[in-house]
Amino acid sequence: MSALLETHGLSKTFGHFAANAQIDFSVEPGELRAVIGPNGAGKTTFFNVLGGTTPASAGTIRFKGRDVTHAGGYRRVHLGIAKAFQTANLYPEQTVRQNARYAALGHVQGPFALEVFRRSQRLAAVDAAAERALARLELTGVAEQRCGDLSHGDKKRLDIAIALATEPEVLLLDEPVAGMSRDEARKTELLIRKLAAEMTVLIIEHDMDLIMGISDSITVLHQGHVLATGTPLEIRENPRVQEAYLGGHSQAELAHG
Amino acid sequence: MSAADVGAVSLARRRRSVLAVHDLRFVALTVLGLAAFPFVLHALGGYSGLATQILLTGIAAIGFNLLLGYAGMLSYGQAMFYGGGGYVAGIVATRFAGGHPNLWLAVLAAVVTTALLAFCVGLLVTRLYGIYFALLTLAFAQMVFFVVEQARDWTNGDDGMQNVPTVGMPFFGSTIDLNTGLPALDLGPFGNLSDVKLWYVFAALVTLLVLWFTRVLVRSQFGEVLGAIRENEERSTFVGFSPRLYRLAAFVIAGALGGLSGALRALFDATVPIDSVGIDRSGSFVIFTIVGGVQTIFGPLVGTGVIMYLQNVISGKTDAWRLIEGLIFVLVIVFLPSGIVGTLLKRRRTRKQLLDTVKATP
Repeated sequence: MSALLETHGLSKTFGHFAANAQIDFSVEPGELRAVIGPNGAGKTTFFNVLGGTTPASAGTIRFKGRDVTHAGGYRRVHLGIAKAFQTANLYPEQTVRQNARYAALGHVQGPFALEVFRRSQRLAAVDAAAERALARLELTGVAEQRCGDLSHGDKKRLDIAIALATEPEVLLLDEPVAGMSRDEARKTELLIRKLAAEMTVLIIEHDMDLIMGISDSITVLHQGHVLATGTPLEIRENPRVQEAYLGGHSQAELAHG
Repeated sequence: MSAADVGAVSLARRRRSVLAVHDLRFVALTVLGLAAFPFVLHALGGYSGLATQILLTGIAAIGFNLLLGYAGMLSYGQAMFYGGGGYVAGIVATRFAGGHPNLWLAVLAAVVTTALLAFCVGLLVTRLYGIYFALLTLAFAQMVFFVVEQARDWTNGDDGMQNVPTVGMPFFGSTIDLNTGLPALDLGPFGNLSDVKLWYVFAALVTLLVLWFTRVLVRSQFGEVLGAIRENEERSTFVGFSPRLYRLAAFVIAGALGGLSGALRALFDATVPIDSVGIDRSGSFVIFTIVGGVQTIFGPLVGTGVIMYLQNVISGKTDAWRLIEGLIFVLVIVFLPSGIVGTLLKRRRTRKQLLDTVKATP
């Protein structure tokens, strides 16, 4: 099977600081891949470069065999890469339903349309996609609430609903359960399992029990480098990974010269 | 169809059905207001022609509000389109008319030119945000001012274009003279309203069209996405919109409305002052819009009316108009931050909510 999303020598530098250095990474269709690592390992930067928030400094990104390294964020959304943010990134003044409608409209309409004489309400496909996404996240009950008034957990789930409303093939989830209550986190975990049956999911998360339980495979980042990639079991037993997480940097640094 | 799909369809239908009543009420109110306006102004002591000038200038403010209010872009360059449109119309009427200056031709040339200018300038300025965007629009406006001032052979430089020929308005085979006076009206205690020209009717019709267009635009799919981008540009990018193209389109529409406004003012006044393309003019559109109410359909027009009327009354009595204008602006920002129309709308909404709660309580 050929990779759905892959990077070669992907680097992102801020001044002299390399947040991501020479990352070779590849995900198969349908995989649920976790990206883990200690704080400052470059996980969020990696997602930002994959999603198109910030351009790569070097290296290439290929999606379905196509070079998307220089495609802007909105182009990647239309190719099928969607993202839920670390801090829920919403339209706080709008209702929950309108948040999902914006996303569905973006997907149905495309990057730009000079539709100055017609309302989006004529597009039944938009309403349908928005309602479907809300239903999946069990947000239909609060659909008419102003989303700024939602609880933290509901905001995070609405952010995922927005990503889903663009009907992606790859979903990037940046710490989806961070800050959630135990119940909310459990509900979200079940949802991620269900989503993983339909699409490729990349997930950054600090909750190790969650990660070990749901991932098909795990990539460990450390100081901007890929430290290891493997099944949860392989990663758990990898001494270099243990070393990195226990705070000893020497061995990891040795490994990368 | 799933339950969610059925819900979505019935929702769409409900939204559509309430449309017609709103539209009718909007047109009726606007027509009434525009018909009453010259009488009110006359009763308040405005000179003849002021009503027409206010409507025609207000169109540029309406365009400016599309940027500031609906796209969230504060431009200090609206005068390059307003003044630019005036000069293009003036030049076309003076030079390319072959003795029969044609209103449609002059206006069309002005709108197309300013839209093109807005497109070129917009390609650059829409890369920037906030203060950098504002300063860059200002810089472009100053460049346009310089070019207009230097092109003396065409524009008469600092003195502005005087004596722009009277234009005819070809209309289904006949040519209408907009300077035709309307029948005089005796208003009893308010005096005798004579000096109203056909120009006012024409200006009112164009204003009605522009208001209607603005209303449709801000409620359209385009307006909806513009609002999304204004509220959260990063999220909008990551649901698949190209914010830059939307900002550019808004800039071009605002520019074209500025050109339309300036062109009609030039043809009505038969002059194009150099001020029309100057920095003060750009500033005045900011003031008009904020005083009237940002992000409202009527606000910019009301603000234009209030400020231009006061300027007309006050500057006849004292030289301190600038000071007073500044004070009005400060007072509005402090006490009516939503502007005149915005504050009225807010009050009405609060009252409605109150009534609904009262009704809902058994």
